[in-house]
Parts: sequence; structure tokens; C-alpha cells
Amino acid sequence: MSTETAAILDKVSYLYPRSEKPALSDISLEIRKGEFLGLIGPTGAGKTTLCLVFNGIVPQFQGGRFFGRAIVAGLDTLEHPISKLARHVGVVFQDPETQLIATSVENEIAFALENLSVPRDEIRKRIPQVLAAVRLDGTEHKHPHELSGGQKQRLALAAALAVQPDLLILDEPTSQLDPVGAAEVFTTVRELNKELGITIVMASHAAEEMAEHADRIALMYEGRILALDTPDAIYSRIHLLYEHDLRPPQVSETFHLIDTVMDKHYGHINSPPVRLSEGIPLLDTLSKRCEIVPPNHTIFPLHPGREPALSVKGLTYTYPDGTQALRDVSFDICKGEYVLIIGQNGAGKSTLVKHFLKLLKPTEGTVLVEGISTEAFSTSDLAQRIGYIAQNPDTQIFSTTVQEEVSFALHNLGYSAEEIEARTAESLKEMGLLEVQGAHPLSLSKSDRARVVIAAVLAMKPEIIIFDEPTTGQDFRGARSILEISRTLHRLGKTVLVITHHLYLMPEYAERVIVMGKGTILLDAPIREAFHEVDLLRSTFLMPPQAVMLARQLDHKNEQNWKLLTPQEIAHCFNDPACREKDAV
Amino acid sequence: MKGANTLKYQTVERNSIVVRLDFRSKLLIIVVISFIAFVWESPIALAGLALLVVAACRLSGVRPGYIRFVVKMMIPFYLVLVITHGFWNIEQVKSLTGKAVLTPLFTFPSSFWLVGGASLSLEGFLYGLSVIFKTLVFVMVFPLAIFTTEVDNMIVSLVRLHIPYKFTFIFSSALRFFPLLFEEMQAIIEAQRLRGLAVEKMGPFQRARHYARAVVPLILSAMTRSQQLEIALQSKAFTGSSKRTYLHEISLHRSDYLVMGLCILFLGMALVLYFSFGVGKYGWLL
Repeated sequence: MSTETAAILDKVSYLYPRSEKPALSDISLEIRKGEFLGLIGPTGAGKTTLCLVFNGIVPQFQGGRFFGRAIVAGLDTLEHPISKLARHVGVVFQDPETQLIATSVENEIAFALENLSVPRDEIRKRIPQVLAAVRLDGTEHKHPHELSGGQKQRLALAAALAVQPDLLILDEPTSQLDPVGAAEVFTTVRELNKELGITIVMASHAAEEMAEHADRIALMYEGRILALDTPDAIYSRIHLLYEHDLRPPQVSETFHLIDTVMDKHYGHINSPPVRLSEGIPLLDTLSKRCEIVPPNHTIFPLHPGREPALSVKGLTYTYPDGTQALRDVSFDICKGEYVLIIGQNGAGKSTLVKHFLKLLKPTEGTVLVEGISTEAFSTSDLAQRIGYIAQNPDTQIFSTTVQEEVSFALHNLGYSAEEIEARTAESLKEMGLLEVQGAHPLSLSKSDRARVVIAAVLAMKPEIIIFDEPTTGQDFRGARSILEISRTLHRLGKTVLVITHHLYLMPEYAERVIVMGKGTILLDAPIREAFHEVDLLRSTFLMPPQAVMLARQLDHKNEQNWKLLTPQEIAHCFNDPACREKDAV
Repeated sequence: MKGANTLKYQTVERNSIVVRLDFRSKLLIIVVISFIAFVWESPIALAGLALLVVAACRLSGVRPGYIRFVVKMMIPFYLVLVITHGFWNIEQVKSLTGKAVLTPLFTFPSSFWLVGGASLSLEGFLYGLSVIFKTLVFVMVFPLAIFTTEVDNMIVSLVRLHIPYKFTFIFSSALRFFPLLFEEMQAIIEAQRLRGLAVEKMGPFQRARHYARAVVPLILSAMTRSQQLEIALQSKAFTGSSKRTYLHEISLHRSDYLVMGLCILFLGMALVLYFSFGVGKYGWLL
């Protein structure tokens, strides 16, 4: 191992105990000192397992069968105990809650150092240093519970940094965070890498950020590394990404599509850009060179005149501790609409939704469901009208088989045995769960568990369905499959509300967007309008999708106001049939 | 989030003499006061002791809301104590008072089913009261010591008392994760209500059965969490060994020695007075 190498894996294969299928297969990888290596791959590709190889948890703690060699900071991970490897490898995990152990910020940072018997004076010296590095200065005596999600993950980073590791491993550190939190963590990690030269290995689904920050990217699938290259090389292989259920950054996708439809006499886009900063000048060049076809989309009007399904009038809610979570909020959602609600954590989205279900009662104002005040209903009455699917499927599963789970509500609501059987079967069929109806829900994958919860809610045949952050913690395929369900329900005439931070997923689905901030409605508009209110979105720390930023540039250059939303729509503008005909002649 | 904040570990915010004391001094206070409460039988002496402990809690900043909550929670238990001791604990009360006949306050007519002829005695009633004060002392002396101490100091103190670090760690992580479990329990119950479970229309037994059902997903998720926690701990070089350094220093100050001295003096005096002069025995001042 040269002095320029932080870690080296040599033909590593690994099987978890009682497993026949390798979680890692024949992985050889050299991590250079000071580099930022990104790991991408769908859920189950082996990213987490690979992360745990570096500090010896795999296989020392997990057991199972391990082949090959892993050398980290010159130490063979099979020959040195985890507690010794911990001096050289810091790890930050996905869930902010289960990795913060201590009851104050300073104790959290001190914890690993105390375990490593670092003298007290040295610990005292390092605490302010690492807190400054993650910009949490002055929080020494706070309880982790008092920190926001992004702050918790930065604290986990600070604690990992405090041991002055040779290698910092981050396993999907932003997947549970809102956009502000995720941006905080990415910025901090980049600073640590660029300014302090810390070697980083990060697994993440955030394609745009990975393209921006990583030096190299390893694409994993079924335990193997299929490709290892620069972000530019990886993210320009669009087909490779699609084949493995991965999402390219929208910039790459846009230029890939433009290249496919654009007339060949304009030339080829040899290496599509993967970062917005490179995409914008290229778009300018192309739009000067090519004929731009106006789009054929229309802005769908919202549904004036239709009966409201949900109405909120002058709603104010103050928590018992005095926090005002909603301030004089009023709007109607009409029957059959598909509405997207966005905003930071703490903007009041969940508080608002809880009022529809009478899980909270208004401090002031009224909430009407199908024209009737919620005061007239109990929560269980409302549950039959409004299906609410919360973020974490695991707190919504109480039964030992999928079939029982789906019929749970029907028993509570006192339906006849025949009706229960019929509705359960129908719901199971709709969600494609018939084959697993006898299985324990927790034996299924996370995206299938989410389907079980959706089936259980749909069995009540609600007319309004609310998805609360359905895409958080799901990979691209899982997120898409849930959103496809929402689309099917919408086409069946149901009213659909979705809360999500993943704006780029939504143009294909939502019609209307409600932007919330600090307990008020900042904007309520059709999605095409709303996503182009870039300054307003930014003011509440929401990042518009890259395609929107490219579309703005296109509008600006062509002095138009098309307000395109997706890579497909942008690419369409470069598909000039007249031009092609001319060529044919 | 909101729900968990209300149930957050209740350290006091006020800086008082009790807060500044070392945890070991406070442990001694717990031991001495509990021991005396255990020995005494006098309702008057125990009432005095209970009052003293509650006053100390208030002075050291334990929230009055918490004290009210504890007392309220214990009310059914108190009723049971007064009734069982008042009506049926005849033999023990007779031997304590040395009386052959107890003073009846109220007697059920003999025609009543099951309780007919049972009589509430003054002595039994007073004994019931003494047990209530005794439990109140036990219940309130713990928050006096625990809520007034930072977890770090508790851990270091326990380690100094040669309790293995592994055990003190379990204790502190329980404090850390309790609000999380509570939050999750809330989410599960909420999810059940959203599947048509009309908790508000249920009797207490049905309700208890449904809460019990919520425990299954709670335990399953706690198991997943504990696996993740274990991995996080190992990654932070945790081995459970007591051979480690501690960020926080603790030392005994003059006030600690003073309090410990007073505790021992109080214990000695209480024992001498009890055995020689009957102070704190059942019949004292009655």
C-alpha cells in the first residue's frame, strides 16, 4: 500500500450469516488519500455493506463469510479489532436518531474519544475545533433532541471527525433530511474534503449533488462494482443508469434526450454535461445553433367550480408550548385534484394535514371535509373519507400477515365478513400483493411494505388520499412505483395530496402546488407556474429541479415564457421536423 | 417532535444547592431517607418526612407539574391502601397499637353482600395513611436526586462507585432513547386510529388490548433500532470496558461532606430516638 492510498480492497466477497447470495462480490478498489468517492446503486446493491467493511463491522460484528482482504490505514480489517479500526475510520449513518448516543452535544463528540482513552485535556481541545468545522459552534450543552435533522447529521459528522480519522464513511447521510438539511450536510462534507483534505466515501441517491461533489463514482449493483469512473463518465452513460434503476442528474438526462432528437447536421453532444454550471452555457450554444420549436403544452387550468373536497378557512394552530405552527391559512382543494404540498420541515405541512383527520383541532378557524366541519366527525369517521399514508411504513403495520393487515381497518369499521373478504381481495389485487398475502409484512422489502400500507388504507375506499413524504428513504424505483399508484388513483377520480421534498419527481404527476413556509401559504399555483417561481422557492430553501433552471435559461435566450418542467419537454424544443425535412430534400 | 418534548427527561433548570451537590451525596440522601421511611410507622412522623422531601423537591427546582402528576397517578393506589388497611388489616394494626379492640369509624350493615359487617377502624385508617406517606417519600426522593443531576455526572459518579461502565451506559442510553420510543408509540397509535380504530368509543379493557397490540410494532422497531445502535456504538470504539477516559470531572466539595455528615447524623439520631424513645413508632404523638 503506497503512502498515497487511504484504503485498499482486494477481491472482497462477503455473505451475511445464513445467506446464500453474496452481499458483496469480488470487489477490488483503491481509495486515494484526499479523494471523494461516491457510491451509487439501488437499494440492496451492497452500498451499506461495503461501507461497513472499512471499519471491520463486516465481518467482525456481523459474522458471515468474508473473502479477500481489506486494508485501511495500513491495517488489515480482519486482524485488528473494530475498536482499533475506529481510530482510523469515522462513520456517519443514515438515521440521525440511532447514531447519536449521548445526552449532550459535547458528550456525543467526546464519546468515541473517551472510549479510545484520549486524555481529557485533549478531548476538551478537540470539541470546539470539530464543532467549528461543521458550523455548530456554541451548541456544546444542547440535547441532541433540540437540534434539527441537518444539525443532528452535522453533529454525527463532528463526532466522526473528532477521532481525526484517515477515512470518513458516510452512508446515505442526507436521505432522511429536508432540502435545507441535505444542503447543509453536502456543503460541510465538501468543505471537509477540499479544505482539510479528508478522504471521503459517501453512498447517496442524490445524483445532482454527487455529480457536483464527488471525484470518482462507483456504480454498484447486486454486490458488484459495475463501473468506477469520474462523475462525468458515469452520469453520461444514461442507459447503464436506467438499466440499474438509477437516476442521472437532470442536466445529463436533458442533454442526452436533446442529443437523441436533435438533427444530426447540428452535430453531436459528445460528452453531455453532468453539472448545471456546464449545462447552461451548452444550452445557450445549442439554442443559437438550432431552430427552437415552441412546445405544445398547455397550462391546465385548476378546477374552478368543482365541489371542494377539503376546505380550510382562517386556520390557526398553536401548540401547547406556544409555537404557532399555522397562521390564518385558507384554501380549497377540489374533488379530483392532484395537489403537491412543499416546504421545509417546520413549515406546517404535517400540522395542516393532521387537521383534516382531526388528529389536531384548530386553535382558530374551521376545516371542512366534503363540505362538513370536522367537528361533526371522529377521527375514525374521517379515516374512511381520507386515506392517510404516513412516511414510515413500519409504524403503520400491526398484523402478522399481509392479508390481516389489509383487513385491519375493515374489522374496526364493522363490515360483514363477506364485505371484508371482498374488499381485502380487491385491495390486495390492486397493489399486486395477492402472492404475498400470507407473508409477514416485515419480511417484505421497504417499497413492498409501503404498498401493504397503501392497500390497507385503500381497503376503506377513501375518496381523498394523502401521501406524507412517500419517497423519503426510497430509491428511484421505489419512489416511482409509489407515485405511479398515486397517478392511478387520481385517474380513478380520487383527490390526491402528496407531501414530498423530491420536487424533480413531481411534474409528471401533480397539477397544483401549495408552497408553505413558517405556518403560512407562500404560493398556491399550477405546478408550471409554481416551479418557475425560483426566487420564492429559494427564499424558503427549496431547490427547483435542474430541468426548471435549464428551461428558464431557454426562455430567457428565446425571450419566451414557456415554463418547461422536464428534460423531455426541453428536448422536444430541439426536435425540429421542418429542419429534418429540409435535410431530406 | 412536539409530543416527545413534553416527555423529555426532566432535568431541573434552576441552580440550587441540591443541583450543585455530587451525585454520591444525593445517593446517600436517597438511601438514608428511604431507610428511615422504611423503619418508621408513625403517620405523623412519615407525613413530616414526606412534606420535607416534597419541599426539598420544590426548592431544588423539580417542576410542580411533575409533583402533581405523580400524586395524581398514585390516587387509586392510595384509595386501595386506605380501604384495605382500614377495613381488613386488623391483626397487624392490633399488634402495632397493642389494643385488643379497634375504634370503629364506620360499619357496613351485615346484610350487605361480601362486605357486610366489615368495619373501618380509626387505627387501620391511620396506618393506611402512614403507608401512603411512606410510598410518597420513596416516590419523591428519587426525582430529588435524579432530576437534579446531569446524566454525565451520574455516570461518572456511578463509575467512581465501581459500578461497571457497561451498566451505567445502559442507564444513560435508556434516558436518551425513551423519548424516541414514546414518539414512535404515538405514531403507531395514531396510525391505528387512522385505520378506523375508535379509541374514544372503547371501554378501558378494550383500549388496553389495543394498546397492547401497538407494542408489537414498537418492539420490532426497537429491535431494528438496537441493531443499528450497536453498529454505531462499535464504530465509535465502544467496548463496554471501564478502561476509558471521561470528559467530565467530578469531585466532592465541602458541601458534599457536610450533607453526608448530616445524613449520617440524622440516621443515627432517628434510630436512637426510635428505639429508645419510640419517636416514629406507630403510636408516637397519638
